[in-house]
This record gives sequence, structure tokens and C-alpha cells, in this order.
Amino acid sequence: MVNGAGDGTPVHEKKQGQGLLLFSVFVIATCGLIYELVAGTMASYLLGDSVTQFSTVIGVYLFSMGIGSWLSGQVEGDLLKWFIRIEILVGLVGGCSAPSMFLLFEHVTYFRIVLYSFVVLTGILVGLEIPILMRILKSGIEFKDLVARVFTFDYIGALLASLIFPLLLVPYLGLIRTSLVFGIFNIAVAAYLLYYFEETLRYRRRLLVPILASVFALLAGFVYAERIMSYSETLAFQDKVIYSKSTHYQRMVLTRNNRELKLFLNGNLQFSSLDEYRYHEALVHPGLHALKGSKKVLVLGGGDGLAVREVLRYPDVASVTLVDLDPAMTQLFRSNEMLLELNNRSLLSPKVRVVNDDAFNWVRRDTMRFDFIIIDFPDPSNYSLGKLYSSKFYEELQHVLSDSGIIVVQATSPLIARKSYWCVGHTMEAAGFVIVPYHIYVPSFGEWGYIMGMRNFGWHTGAQLPRGLRFVDKDVMKSMLLFPPDMSEVATEVNKLNNQALVNYFEDEWAPYVH
Amino acid sequence: MFIDGAGSKDRRRFLKQVLALAGVSFAGRYVTGCADASDGRVIPGDIVGAGSSIGHMIRDGRAIPALTEEIRTGILIIGGGISGLSAARWLHKKGTENVMMVEMGEETGGNSVFGQNKVSAYPWAAHYLPIPDVANTSLIEFLGEIGVITGFVDGVPIYNEYHLCHDPEERLYIDGYWQEGLVPKFGITREDEAQIARFMKQAEDYRAAKGVDGKYAFSIPLDTSSADEQFRKLDQISFRQFLTENGYNAKPLLWYLEYCCKDDYGAGLDSTSAWAGLHYFASRRGKATNANSSAVLTWPEGNGFLMQALRKHNPYPVRTGLAAFNIENTENGVHVDCYDAGRKSTVRIVAEKVLMCTPQNVNKYLLKSVGSERGIYEHVQYAPWVVANITCTGVPEGKGTALCWDNVVYGRQSVGYVFANHQNLVRKNEGVLTWYLPFTEGAPKEARKAIYSKTIEDWKKLVVEDLAYAHPGIEPLITRIDVKVWGHGMIQPVPGYVWGNARSEAMQAIDGRIFFAHSDLSGISIFEEAFSQGVRAAEEVLRT
Ligand SMILES: Cc1cc2nc3c(=O)[nH]c(=O)nc-3n(C[C@H](O)[C@H](O)[C@H](O)COP(=O)(O)OP(=O)(O)OC[C@H]3O[C@@H](n4cnc5c(N)ncnc54)[C@H](O)[C@@H]3O)c2cc1C
Repeated sequence: MVNGAGDGTPVHEKKQGQGLLLFSVFVIATCGLIYELVAGTMASYLLGDSVTQFSTVIGVYLFSMGIGSWLSGQVEGDLLKWFIRIEILVGLVGGCSAPSMFLLFEHVTYFRIVLYSFVVLTGILVGLEIPILMRILKSGIEFKDLVARVFTFDYIGALLASLIFPLLLVPYLGLIRTSLVFGIFNIAVAAYLLYYFEETLRYRRRLLVPILASVFALLAGFVYAERIMSYSETLAFQDKVIYSKSTHYQRMVLTRNNRELKLFLNGNLQFSSLDEYRYHEALVHPGLHALKGSKKVLVLGGGDGLAVREVLRYPDVASVTLVDLDPAMTQLFRSNEMLLELNNRSLLSPKVRVVNDDAFNWVRRDTMRFDFIIIDFPDPSNYSLGKLYSSKFYEELQHVLSDSGIIVVQATSPLIARKSYWCVGHTMEAAGFVIVPYHIYVPSFGEWGYIMGMRNFGWHTGAQLPRGLRFVDKDVMKSMLLFPPDMSEVATEVNKLNNQALVNYFEDEWAPYVH
Repeated sequence: MFIDGAGSKDRRRFLKQVLALAGVSFAGRYVTGCADASDGRVIPGDIVGAGSSIGHMIRDGRAIPALTEEIRTGILIIGGGISGLSAARWLHKKGTENVMMVEMGEETGGNSVFGQNKVSAYPWAAHYLPIPDVANTSLIEFLGEIGVITGFVDGVPIYNEYHLCHDPEERLYIDGYWQEGLVPKFGITREDEAQIARFMKQAEDYRAAKGVDGKYAFSIPLDTSSADEQFRKLDQISFRQFLTENGYNAKPLLWYLEYCCKDDYGAGLDSTSAWAGLHYFASRRGKATNANSSAVLTWPEGNGFLMQALRKHNPYPVRTGLAAFNIENTENGVHVDCYDAGRKSTVRIVAEKVLMCTPQNVNKYLLKSVGSERGIYEHVQYAPWVVANITCTGVPEGKGTALCWDNVVYGRQSVGYVFANHQNLVRKNEGVLTWYLPFTEGAPKEARKAIYSKTIEDWKKLVVEDLAYAHPGIEPLITRIDVKVWGHGMIQPVPGYVWGNARSEAMQAIDGRIFFAHSDLSGISIFEEAFSQGVRAAEEVLRT
């Protein structure tokens, strides 16, 4: 066997060492780009405006890498040792970047500072890696080969990262776990180099401790990733989260800023205290004010008591029955001071009976007759909600509605979801109702639609409205009935249990806004 | 309502994606979920209704317990499955008195029994009925009596929408994705697609085809199908042979057809005759004013709903826990000796006429002393089935189409699972999955042996493994797995069975006294056949 370089190391071993180092180039290049992508994705989702976020993150990251490269010039001494140390640091910082940002998002006022600190720090460390590595390698390879090889591997790693990130990592691991896994890869490189090169013998032990500790921390993060995510769920809200609870049925979150209070169910806005009066006045008064005499009212959904608040403005309402699935919801709106103020303690009124049950089953069982029925369910965004908008459900309502009674259904946006809106109307018609469609503007939601139903047309706007309304009056009621051409009636199928036409319309129409 | 305040939309969407992508649903729980599973937790569950012991007693003619009771009756119905209950209904409709029924199980229902727990009712076997042809008048009439049909418009039934299978109905897991519908369309080639279309077209032609006798080639009940030789000869060859001869070789098509045979007949392409295989596609001509012709009726308890309706309307006394084991045709009536499992004694029922609504593999032993020449016994072949009901917290969604009523996984031995809660109006965050596994390969006898030797732990493992194929990480969410083993689950329509002489001869009464009805006398094991067998036999009883 031919002896190689003067240091007496056999050629093949040296080659193997170099191969290993080149392989590290590949791994660290992949990791480096992944951290950049994680930060960019995170920023564009959390802060919106993805073009700006992505380009600033990339810019800052590259610039920081430049700083790193420059700093590498200052590094002297045992380069391998430096390199291993840096790898551990990159792994730890990069690995923790996603979970840390998730957790910090809701706590810090200036989230951008946190974000760019991570970007800068990771960028600098990644910028240090390659120059130092090249200096380590230069003793074995001719310069032109060295540059060629290192950059080849660097760019291959980058390509790999940019492909697997959107195709595999985000769909299957999610951002948090992706960043943790790649942190572990970086540290694995450190560990392997430490184990492979004999010259590390002196400090092996000392470096083993931080390696193990970092791996342990990242693994722990991996196991708890889910908890981190549900904990950081609140980051979905721009305002301060003042209350959140997962009930058997849904996740309730209340947020507030100095202007308004908002309720979210499963991440969907239910109301903003700023303009909910518009929504609820329009839901209740057009129908209820037109009914004469003592009235029995049924509210399905609407566990916040805000529709009930409007109902109770009529002294001749004899009783209100509220059916809402979630006891936690009705309980909250019967006990929280801030919310009691908002709903005017409506759910505590002696006229009000609260039933926690599924509306469909309850209506099928109930034998009472109501004069006014308010149907205020969440939008038909899934098949189980779709059932509550089916012809069968409206047929069941016929059995609990008095002869001259009126029902009113919140029916999503006739502007954004035109087919969905008219599908609700046509479904009510198929169940034997004469319908009166109307709509208003609610700033938090946009154009919003309702549909009244009755056995025979007998609705008019002539009767007295209660005092103290902020939105609904006679003229407004008339204007609600006008549908400009972009919201006017379109042909649709009837929503039945066995076709769920509405859910399909709804999905199609809202998709551009959600995806 | 749905929309967010301006600005937070992005964030919400992001969160939705991240949560959906990484976790909350099954895919992501996998990793953290393992912690639960490796607790060494044993999922609770049992093999229910185990006990072929009575069956074996009948077969082996083991020591006969002492006679303690003798009952006299006009007509005795043996077996309280759909055929027996349907016969009882018909006799009652015709004002017949002095009828009684014995059933060996703890309750009547046979293959249409169901179970129930806190989360949902669930079927133990039969779970759906396609909307029938309007020509099937006796069945249409029955569905009207029990409120499944609520009216007619120009003779076309209006179905109760609570009973029509709610949307979304079916999905198939193929290539890591849940597609809508069961006919493979995700990731298949043009050629596959063309063959599927060609087959569907051919089936469509057969559906419209009529024989020289003016009858439809394929009908339900199958005995109303045309006698035309050009169609009946298809019963002589296997479905596979038919497909080969017609140039069908696309894998996804063959998979789908085999799946259909497995699902409805418990048979593979070789153990299904071409006639029976085509019957599946060409016999359904259901009509409804408010559903399309391929609509099906289903309930959380499956056909247990129909079974219970029959059971409730049966006015005759029923003795459950009584297994007939010997029949003697004497001068003063038919003597039916039954084993009373509770009292470990023998009850003799002396009847003027007996209606045997029991499968032929049982009749073989019951009729030993009658000495009849029924040649059917060598021809019947039954597929074993294993059904599991899996209760879980959370429902298995996955990538693609949302959870459906029927959920099938491409290329598996099991035929997938039915979401028992599907017809419930309230979606809870809990569910029961009814999982079906037919044994269609190899000799049924060997399969039975193997099945009976398995423990509940073996079954649980198998069930979890099979579910985890499409739903990695489902295990920690499972709170219970119960299993039922059907040793002789379904008659297989093997080539030559449906239109062979043995079957028609076996429907003949013996001596004007012993009559026969059971779905195995039709050759395809479906509700409609069992129901019409009961009606036919009851008519014969009344005529003689
Ligand atoms: C797993 C599985 C899934 C199925 N799914 C469907 C489906 O989705 N749709 C469908 O239409 N059909 C389905 N079927 C077919 C089902 O078998 C028929 O719908 C129908 O229930 C058969 O009724 P039957 O009366 O012919 O037979 P059985 O149900 O077999 O009735 C026979 C009865 O006789 C009793 N018996 C037997 N021996 C004795 C004795 N010695 N003494 C007293 N009683 C005795 C039995 O206990 C039983 O109750 C399925 C079957 C299986 C096994």
C-alpha cells in the first residue's frame, strides 16, 4: 500500500475522513436551508403578507450567513473542535426555533424581534459552518477540487431541502417537528465527527455532555410537540386571549383588545362586541316584531344569550327556550361578569329556560309549539352541521311551530356564498315554508344573510319595534329585502340528509377564503 | 358564523393547517400516542355470542338430555332469522293461528342481530338494504308498514330520509388517499379507466336485458329472474372465467369486482358464478322520488332495524334458547325435539306443520331421521366471516374525503369498516366502527378451524393492524373491541349452485308437512332473499 501525505495516515483512511466531511456538508446544507424555510413559513403565516415576510427572512438570513463567514476568519486553533461546537449550537438554536417561536408568539409584544433574532443567530452559525469546514478539508484536497466538491454538496443539500420541505416535512411532520428533527441531524453530525476523528479524544468527554443534553431537549420537544401546538393555539388570535377552554364539543376562546371582545368557537369568530348588535337585531326583530300577542320563543344555538337579549325587549314574550349543545357555553354566558354585561343577563331571566341538548333530537322529541323560532347555528362547514340545515330538519320544525308562527335562519353570506345562501332558502321552501330572504352588513363578517320562513305569507314591517335599537328600524328593514344582482337568487339543489348539497356548495364557495 | 375579523384570517388558516398537518387527527397522534399504547394497556373486549357448542351437539348427536316438556302447535317455525320472522309476519297477515317459533340463540335475528353501547348501536352482521325494485311488492309493502317508505308519487316510493344513507356515503383508501366512491379512480391508468367503463356499460346492458320469457335477466328475488338459457348458462362458469373471456384484466377493476363479491357473497371471483357476479351489478332497479336508484337504507343498528320491526310485529310465542336437534315425521304429527340450553333438558314440540327457516348445514342433521333425499347438502358452501365492533374516542378521518358510512381500503383482505354512528343526527367525538373480514380463500372448513382457534387477543391485534394501515396511530384511541365469529356466515353462490337442480329441489316441502325457507336456498345471502323465502314458504304452508 502506498503511503499518502507525510503524516503517515493511510490514503484510504484520509479519503474516508474527507468523504465523511463532505457528507456533513450535505447534511448541514440541508439543515441550514430547512431552518430558513421554517422561519420564512412561520413569519408569513403569523404576520401575514407572505411575499414581504419571505423575502425579508431570506435577506436577513443570507446577510447573517455573511456575518458568519466573516466571523469564521477570526476563528483560530483546533478547527475540528470549533466545527463540532458550532454544529451543536446550530442544532440547538435551529432545532428549537419553531417551537420557541410558537410559544413566544402570544407572549411578546414585538414578535418580529424574536423572529429576526432567531433568523440572525441561525444565519450566523450556519454561515460559520462551511468556511470552517473548508479550512479543515483544505489540507487533504487541492483547492479547486475542494471548492467544487463542497459547493456541489452544499447545493445538492439545498435542493433536497427545498423539495422535501413542502412535499414531505410540512404535511407529515408539521413545522415544529421538522425544526426539531433537523436540529437532531445537526447534532448527530457533531456526534459522529467527534466519534470518528481520533484527534477529538482529548475533549470528547467534555463535548459529550452538551450533545446529550441538546439531543434530549430536542427529543423532549418532539414528544411534546402536540402539547406545544395546542398551547400555542391561542397564537391564532391577534388580540389578548382572556379565556379559553376545550369542552366536550368545541374550543371556546375569548379575546379582547381595548375596543372589543370577541368569541371564537373552534377558531371561527362568533361575534365581536363592536358590531354584534347589528347581527342580533337583524336576526330577531324583523320576524318577532311582526307577531302579535303573547309569544313563545325558541332559540336553537346561540348559547351566548345575545339573541335572547333582543327577544326579551318584548314585554309580551311569555317564555324563551334556548337549546344549545354545549353546557360550558351557556354556563359561561350566565356567570362571567363581562359577558353578562354584554347579553344583559338574558340567560338569567326567569322567562328563559336553557336546555343543553342537540337541537335536532330535541326538536324531534318536543311537543310544544312556538310562535317564533330563531335558528342560529354555526355555518354548514361540515357534514354534521349540514344536517341541521336539511329539509328533514325544517320539516321537523313545522311540528313545533304555531300556525301563524315565523322561523328565522342565519344563512351565511349571500355575497361570498351565494349558492349556499339560496340553497338554505330553497331547502326551507321544500319543507313547506314561504320564505322571506334578507341581508345586512356586519363589519366583522361582511354581507350577511338571513331567511325567514312561515306557513303562509303574512309578514309585514308595519308593527311597532321596541325602543332602544341601534340598527334596525322600518327603513332599514325595507332595504334589507333588496338583493342587488350579485347576490340575487340562483338555482340550487335542496339540501337533504342524503345529498348534503349545502356542505358542498359551502366548501366550494368559502374555499378561496380559507385555503 | 364563520369569518374571522379582518387580518386574523391568515393566522387562523395557518393554525388550521399546522394543526391538521401535524396532528390533532390520527396521523399526528401517532408519535405521541405511542406513549399511551406502550403503557402495556390491553384494549378491553370479548368474543360475543361464542358457542358453536349447541351446533356441535346437534351435529355429533351427543347424549340427549331427558324429555321434560311437550308442546303442541299447529305450525312450528324453526329459526328466527329474517326468513323465519318474515314467514311469521306473512302467516299472521293471512290470519293464521296456532303458530310458534323456536330460536336457538338468546334472541331472534340470526345474521341481522345488533349490539348497543353508550356510544352507538351497531350491527353484528347485516347492515344495509338497497332501495328495492318497485316490482318487489311484498318488500315495498313491508317498508311502507314500518315507515321506511312514507308515501308514493305516481307509484314511486318516497323514502324516509332518516333511513336513506346520509351523505357522504363511501370512500376508498388508495395510494395513501381517501377518494370518494369505491370504484378506484385515484392513480389508475387510462386503460384501467377504460376497462372499468366498459364493464359498467356491460353491466348496465345486462340490467336492462330481458329473456325470451319477457322477464329481466337479473332480478331480486332471484327466482323471478328470466329462465332464458343465454343468461342462466352464466351460472356454469366462474365470474373470473367470465371476466377473462371478456378481456377484463385491469387490476383495479378486478380488485373492485372481487371486493363486491366478498362484500355481498363472502366469495372470491372463483367461488362466485358469473351469473351471481353479474347479478350484483345488474339486478338493482330501485326507484325513489327522493333518492337515486343506487341509494341504500341503513341504520346505526344495521338491518337490526328491519329485524326488530319484524320481531315487534310477530304476534306468536317465541321460545329462544331452544335448539331443534331432531325431527321425526310420525303419524300423529311432526315431532321436533329441542334442546333447552337453560334447563339442560329436551322439549318436544309436536306440530302439524314445520317451517324450517334454518340453514341447510343444520337441516342436514335435523332431518337425519326423516330420511329424505334432499341432495342439497353436498352443494352448499358457506363463507366464514369475522365482524368486529370497535369503539373509539375520536373518529378516523385521514387525507382526502371525510369519514363516510362505508370505508374501504384498497387491496386488503378485510372489506373495510362501516361507521355505525353515521345515521345519528348528532356527531359525537366518539364512534363505533363495524369492521368486516370475510374468509374467501381456500377451503372454508380449514378457515373455520383456524378461526375458532383464535383468541380475542389475536383478533384485536388483527383488527388494530388492519385499521392502522389506513389510520396510523388509531390504537390509543380505541376503547373497546368486541368480535363475533360467523363460522357459516354466508352461502357462497359457487358456479352451478343458483341454477342447479339441487337448490330448487331443496325448496320442495317434504310430505306436505315440512317446509323450507332460508337465504341459502336462494344462493345469495341478502335481506331481500331471506324475506321473500319466508313469504314463499308461508304461502306454501297455507296452500297445503
Ligand atoms: C357478516 C355478514 C354481513 C351481512 N351483511 C348483509 C347486509 O349488509 N345486507 C344484507 O341484506 N344481508 C347481509 N347479510 C346476509 C344476512 O345473512 C341476511 O340478510 C339475513 O339476515 C339472513 O336471514 P336468514 O333467515 O336467511 O338466515 P339466518 O340469519 O341464518 O337465520 C337462521 C336462524 O336460525 C337459527 N337456528 C339455526 N339452527 C337452529 C336450530 N337448530 N334450532 C333453532 N334455531 C336455529 C339461527 O340462530 C338463526 O337465528 C350479511 C351476513 C353476514 C354473515
